[in-house]
Amino acid sequence: MKPIGKLAALAMAALLTATACGGGQTPAQQGPKPLRMTIWTSNEAHLKLFNEIAAEYKKTHPDVGAITFDSIPFENYTTTLTTQIAGGNAPDLAWVLENSAPDFVSSGALAPLKQTLAKTFGYEFTDLAPAATKLWERDGELFAYPFSTSPFGIFVNDDLVKEAGQKTPRELIKAGQWNWDNAVAIGAAVAKKGKAGLVVRDFDYKNWDNLASVWGGWGARAWSEDGKTCGFNSPEMVQAMTFLHKSIFVDKALPGPGTIVDFFAGDAAMTITQISRASLLEGATFGWDLVPLPSGPKGEYAVIGQAGLGVLKNSANATQAMDFLAFFTNPANSAKLAAYFPPPRTSQLTTETLAKSNPKLKPEQLEEVVINGIAKATVKPSHIGQAELSQTIRAALDPLWKADADVNAVLDGVCAKIQPMIGTS
Amino acid sequence: MTLTRTRETAAHRAVVSPYWTHRRRDNLVGYLFIGPQLIGSALFVLLPLGLVLWYSLHEWNVLAGTFEFTGGDNYAKLLNDSNLGEVLGGTAMFSIGLVVFNLSLALLLAVLLNQRLRGTTFFRTLFFSPVVVSLVAWTIVWRFLLQADGGINGLLGTIGVEGPNWLRGDATAMVSVIVVQVLKNVGLNMVLFLAALQGVPRQLHEAAQLDGAGAWRRFTRITVPLISPTILLTSIITVVGSLQVFAQIAVLTQGGPGVSTTVLVYYLYQQAFQFHHFGYGATLSILLFAIVAALTLLQWRMRRKWVLYES
Amino acid sequence: MSHKLKITLYGLLCVLCVPFVFPTWWMVTSSFKPVGEIFAFPPSPLPSSWDASAYRQVFELQPFATQYFNSLYIALLVTAGTMVVSAMAGYAFARIRFPGQNVFFIVVLVGLLIPSEVTIVPLFQMFHGLGLTDTHWPLIVVPILGAPSVMATFIMRQFFVSLPGELEEAARVDGLGRFGTFVRVAIPLARPALGAVAIFTFLHSWNLYLEPIVFLSSPEKFTLPQALTQFVDTYGGPMWNIQLAAASLTALPILVVFVLAQRQFIEGLAHTGLKG
Repeated sequence: MKPIGKLAALAMAALLTATACGGGQTPAQQGPKPLRMTIWTSNEAHLKLFNEIAAEYKKTHPDVGAITFDSIPFENYTTTLTTQIAGGNAPDLAWVLENSAPDFVSSGALAPLKQTLAKTFGYEFTDLAPAATKLWERDGELFAYPFSTSPFGIFVNDDLVKEAGQKTPRELIKAGQWNWDNAVAIGAAVAKKGKAGLVVRDFDYKNWDNLASVWGGWGARAWSEDGKTCGFNSPEMVQAMTFLHKSIFVDKALPGPGTIVDFFAGDAAMTITQISRASLLEGATFGWDLVPLPSGPKGEYAVIGQAGLGVLKNSANATQAMDFLAFFTNPANSAKLAAYFPPPRTSQLTTETLAKSNPKLKPEQLEEVVINGIAKATVKPSHIGQAELSQTIRAALDPLWKADADVNAVLDGVCAKIQPMIGTS
Repeated sequence: MTLTRTRETAAHRAVVSPYWTHRRRDNLVGYLFIGPQLIGSALFVLLPLGLVLWYSLHEWNVLAGTFEFTGGDNYAKLLNDSNLGEVLGGTAMFSIGLVVFNLSLALLLAVLLNQRLRGTTFFRTLFFSPVVVSLVAWTIVWRFLLQADGGINGLLGTIGVEGPNWLRGDATAMVSVIVVQVLKNVGLNMVLFLAALQGVPRQLHEAAQLDGAGAWRRFTRITVPLISPTILLTSIITVVGSLQVFAQIAVLTQGGPGVSTTVLVYYLYQQAFQFHHFGYGATLSILLFAIVAALTLLQWRMRRKWVLYES
Repeated sequence: MSHKLKITLYGLLCVLCVPFVFPTWWMVTSSFKPVGEIFAFPPSPLPSSWDASAYRQVFELQPFATQYFNSLYIALLVTAGTMVVSAMAGYAFARIRFPGQNVFFIVVLVGLLIPSEVTIVPLFQMFHGLGLTDTHWPLIVVPILGAPSVMATFIMRQFFVSLPGELEEAARVDGLGRFGTFVRVAIPLARPALGAVAIFTFLHSWNLYLEPIVFLSSPEKFTLPQALTQFVDTYGGPMWNIQLAAASLTALPILVVFVLAQRQFIEGLAHTGLKG
């Protein structure tokens, strides 16, 4: 704390104690150390599994007290987490979303994990797929464990597709015709019948990074590999966005901005989302399928979203937290977590392992979407200073979501805004 | 503003004890009474204001945990910030739109309710009711209603009008935010105006009517001047209030589309709490304070020009 | 007034009150609709079948009862505290003569000019230094003593200034001290202004949004406005009917209290001394 802040704090402390209401901090605890992990899921099944793993860990580790899992809503997750860190209320462990990975990894907020993981007995550190850990590394050191590597796929409501007289994506795959043109044709046909066509879930005309699942087919990128050059006005991106714009506003294959459609309630023919959403199909009353993303002009492609689990360097219990992380993600527990979160362990990325934990999905679906997907996937875009960058791009892309938008001009505008922000980093 | 002082006659200043004179006891009681408020002001208003000034001279990175003195860098950034022009323009539009719409609607409602009609109490209750509805609840409901396929367009659809995508167009988003905010709070100003209108003597109106003055003329020449102190005060409160609108923006538009509804307060929040530029956020705070203080002073100065009298 | 004019006026009032009443009506009725029906076209004025399951889920998804209690107790505490602080300060500024009075009054008035967003960063820092983030302290102490209470002090001062001083003079002649005069004579006389202060303060605290989202991070400490925005699924998709049910639960009790006591409410506010 800065001197003036300290003075202020002292003055306030004096006032508060004078009025007999000093609550506040308890001194460093003796005895068992409690651990707190922030997560964004509040799904009961997820929490139950976490608590089971934690209970098992505590049996052999009396030095660790209560292990709590703190659910923070997804929408404000990173904002809330960083505010907690700024407020001195940092958790011991935290899930980190892929788009804030560069910020967390580069700032030094996370503790290095390699040594702890590598020396943990039976951890099989080398089993971790390099493609999965890449985002979480810096200078050869690993700062978070990629506990979820979740490919984007398309969930299909086969009933709606058939009703509209269209071939199902599964049939198109068999015929070798599963591409974006046909996907949009299905969407348009279903939309004519009154339900919605294809929904890019969570995009909502705001969270543009989800569009990576579309423009990947054109080989477009938000920015270059080194993060220094804007990719929004590249020819590939212009083509992809022109296609998307036409699909939305001319073909009406995707519901327009400001409409509310839920695929999982049976309101849409298809939705692009991460396979972890399969749990939302619990009790679905329609026939559904999961297929890989359609191929684009650049052929087949795959996109993954990732989430890492890291230990906050400033945590008072960092040692215990790291040890717990090593336990939480060891081969046995990783296999259990695979039920919801595709693991980064090559030995577990097999149809058999995944089928055991994903009874909802058929082996061919797992093979196509998960195993092949992870092998060739690019990760959703992320950059240092993501929050500001993301907000700037959102604002600059807004003019695109109108029927009469000038795609080229809007995309040039995006680059004009963000190039100065990323060029120097 | 001068302070009204109680008259203290010699009789009352009877000495009780050699040291604890009435005057000394009065001083003590006075300080004790303003004590909490004064200490509160010092701790929670003046000190933070000083700290904001201090932070605005620094660059603070939360994740890395660094805090560095950077002098006037943040103020230079203020001048070079390409978004700031738009943000200030949007803020001005929002405030002007809000104040004009709020005050005219409040006055209209107050005049309507001031007619000798049965049932005005009933209508007064209805117009006032949004004031007591929780702000966020009110805004969430409007977010639903303003969706492209939401309730407002549904309502418009039943009379054959195809409504716009309210929260997605630059102009309609701004209008939506203003209207939602005015509907929420106009009841307060309405009540204040109503009380002021009831203080306007009917005889004045009747006399003017005899002289052949029409309703509009009577309104502008008699009513408005007589309630001008109320207009001044409500406009100050509304202007200052309009510069503090945050939750409505956060819930309705998150500043979009583009940055069209990113008002200064929301921009400040984004910079400090979402982008973690606490130093720059503090600089924007100083700007906001300067604007509010300047506007309030300006309005106060202008009062002699257009306020007929002060009670 | 002519018959025709009367009908026009009533017509105008009826049309004007639609946007004031419709949202509340829509909020309450939609909260009983199944999700699919909320956005049905054309909109239905009433649910086809009343479904209260959203209300049950409100309490299952979040510690909503606790959050309700949080909002209520914070608002009541702040209201009581502000009434005491502002009545004392307002009275002293209006009635008592002491050196430095004018300077202090201006110092206090600076608070009127400061939007809470301006000082939120350093206040966050200060409470962080004390380890009081993620507690209710900042939401209670700052409104009672800081900028939000300045308006209340201003209202109280204006009221006491306009109040004839004879009763208090008489009380003092009868040997009542300053403090006694304040408690036994001035306060009872100031009931209407105190009522207005109470209403203003309660609503202000009840609606507080920025401060809770900045200061609080644990769901069981959340206040209602903050909780309302948290009814989203695991991945941030809003749960429409549940949000509406929660919003209705937040709005209705206060609305009922208001309708029952609307005369005192509105007339109390009208006599805040803000007339000029």
